[in-house]
Amino acid sequence: MDCVTRKLHRLITAAVLGSFGFSSAATAGGQLTLLCWEGYADKSFVEPFEAETGCKVNAVYVGTNDEIVSKIMSGGGTADLISPSNDTTMRLVNADAVSPIDESKVPNMADFIPEFKRPAWDVKDGKLWGVPYGWGVIRIIADASVVDPNTDSLGFLWDSKYAGKLSMWDDIETVYTASRYLGFKNTYDLSDEQLEQVKAKLIAMKPNIRKYWFTTGEMGTLIASGEAIGGNSWESTIVQLRADGKKVADLKPKEGRGGWSDSWMIVKGSESNPCVYPWLNYVSSAKAQALAHKVTGFGYPNVKMADELDENTKAAYTELGMTDPATLTNVDWWQPVKRRAKYLEIWNQVKAASN
Amino acid sequence: MTTIERAVEPARTSIRSARAIERRRLLLWLLPPMAWFTVFMLIPYAMLLYTSLGHVDDMRFIPGLSLDNFVRVFTVDPYLGVIIKSARIGLMTAVLSSVVAYPLAFYLAFHVRTQRLKFLIYLLVIVPWWASYLVKAYAWKTILGSGGILNVGLQELGFVHEPVRLFLYNEFSVVMTLTYIFTPFAVLSIYAQLERVPTSLIEAARNLGADGWMIFRRIILPISVPGIVAGAIITFSLAFGDFVAPVLVGGPDSVMISNVVINLLGVAFDWPLAAAIGLVIITLGLLLISASGWLEEKTQTRF
Repeated sequence: MDCVTRKLHRLITAAVLGSFGFSSAATAGGQLTLLCWEGYADKSFVEPFEAETGCKVNAVYVGTNDEIVSKIMSGGGTADLISPSNDTTMRLVNADAVSPIDESKVPNMADFIPEFKRPAWDVKDGKLWGVPYGWGVIRIIADASVVDPNTDSLGFLWDSKYAGKLSMWDDIETVYTASRYLGFKNTYDLSDEQLEQVKAKLIAMKPNIRKYWFTTGEMGTLIASGEAIGGNSWESTIVQLRADGKKVADLKPKEGRGGWSDSWMIVKGSESNPCVYPWLNYVSSAKAQALAHKVTGFGYPNVKMADELDENTKAAYTELGMTDPATLTNVDWWQPVKRRAKYLEIWNQVKAASN
Repeated sequence: MTTIERAVEPARTSIRSARAIERRRLLLWLLPPMAWFTVFMLIPYAMLLYTSLGHVDDMRFIPGLSLDNFVRVFTVDPYLGVIIKSARIGLMTAVLSSVVAYPLAFYLAFHVRTQRLKFLIYLLVIVPWWASYLVKAYAWKTILGSGGILNVGLQELGFVHEPVRLFLYNEFSVVMTLTYIFTPFAVLSIYAQLERVPTSLIEAARNLGADGWMIFRRIILPISVPGIVAGAIITFSLAFGDFVAPVLVGGPDSVMISNVVINLLGVAFDWPLAAAIGLVIITLGLLLISASGWLEEKTQTRF
């Protein structure tokens, strides 16, 4: 998911913490090394796990999915569990870098939303290769006082009414968004010709762009201050704005929305580590996911998770439809993009194009 | 062998051994800088070159001896265009910084009489550097934004009725922010050069009937040129390589070359292309420094 929200922050933390990550303090229960996003090994839920199982958890934070791939590919022993996103999971499975999940050892998965029990990005040869964890839908948001909340198409992003008033994510997800609007079904495997059309479409949107946002917090500020009135963003922006009393519409475009979902995967050879399955089952529990939601604000697959949240958080979570199966229809889940360098080049060309 | 030669021989030996010791000592002295140079300069540059000649296939680096990446930098949109744009932003920042810095440096060098006041102003120039770059760049958002101080002020005074959106999120705000942040370098550089202007020259000129403007034009300005050049080089380089200002206050087309390199390293995992861009920039930088060194040499006034 290139966890966007705090891309820069993560890079820095990863660089700083990376060097301390492996400090060893062996305890009786064994050791578990996680290669994951910041917030995926927060002490608020790691400490109860350590107390319960006697397993010592070492977390190494990463900033990008590529970092996970390159660390795992460059040799074993670096980690037991990793938390890649759905645009990366299958790459690791195909590279024979991870081991299949024995679902009988993760009973808490029974409480998962059906879509997350055996999602396409974790299944190959009938086997499950990852335990879904944090997830989210790329929201199309707009100031409800300016844009009709019933708008059901991405087309408004190109409406000259909104010249200089939109803000889109500075990420190739925005390339995907334009591709969806053009009706391409192969969002993640576009041909050169399609990419050129996408590029033209994105350049056509530029007069409407006030700024490409870099963090979800920034997008919130842009809307709150009136610099922008809409664009794409993550759930956290909506939560932030609604908490500040701003009426923000969460549009449901018929062209579909992007979706990201991380999974815990077992690095090949670590399936025998006695701490691996206790962790997988623990982080799949409603309680642990509620604690994790407090830290990250992400969606989590356990349906009972929302009941563990406090009133306000639960209300915000429900309002976003995170517990509603309807939210998960018409989601164009992220997939590995073979020619990501090309996509990025297109995106940089769009950004460099003068208005 | 004659007696004399026999007598000289031990002396020769001792001279030779003294030289040997000196050579060894010299080596010992040279070793740390050589090691430093090798570890921190030669090896990284060699690695950069090595990386730039290879390519990436499915997340794996494949070494090679291909110049394709360099060809891409110059022929494929947007790399060269973005380098040129970054250079333009760097140049504007350098010129503006010099223009802003010169009067202050001038005042500091010639008009501040007491040491204490001089120290105070000096400190005021440096103090902003104690604050984080991010905070300062962010501050410009609150100054230039639609609800910012500038717009509110203009509306209160009745000059405009709607917030002016041209102040923020474009190249103007990027150059503005970079100029603000890097001007202290120009001040210090120009000030250091102005300090070298001998008072005797000015006094002599005055005795010969020169007025203030003439003294400035004929004596002070020519002497200060190397300081201006040095300051401009520093501010240009810092602005050229900046990646924070375009992210914070830049507009939809304010992407700079460092942003592209970061993207290539992170999102695209195309380290070879990123390395090639790095080498192109380093080469351009070397050319620039050589040119400015030559210019500084040319313009340096000797007394």
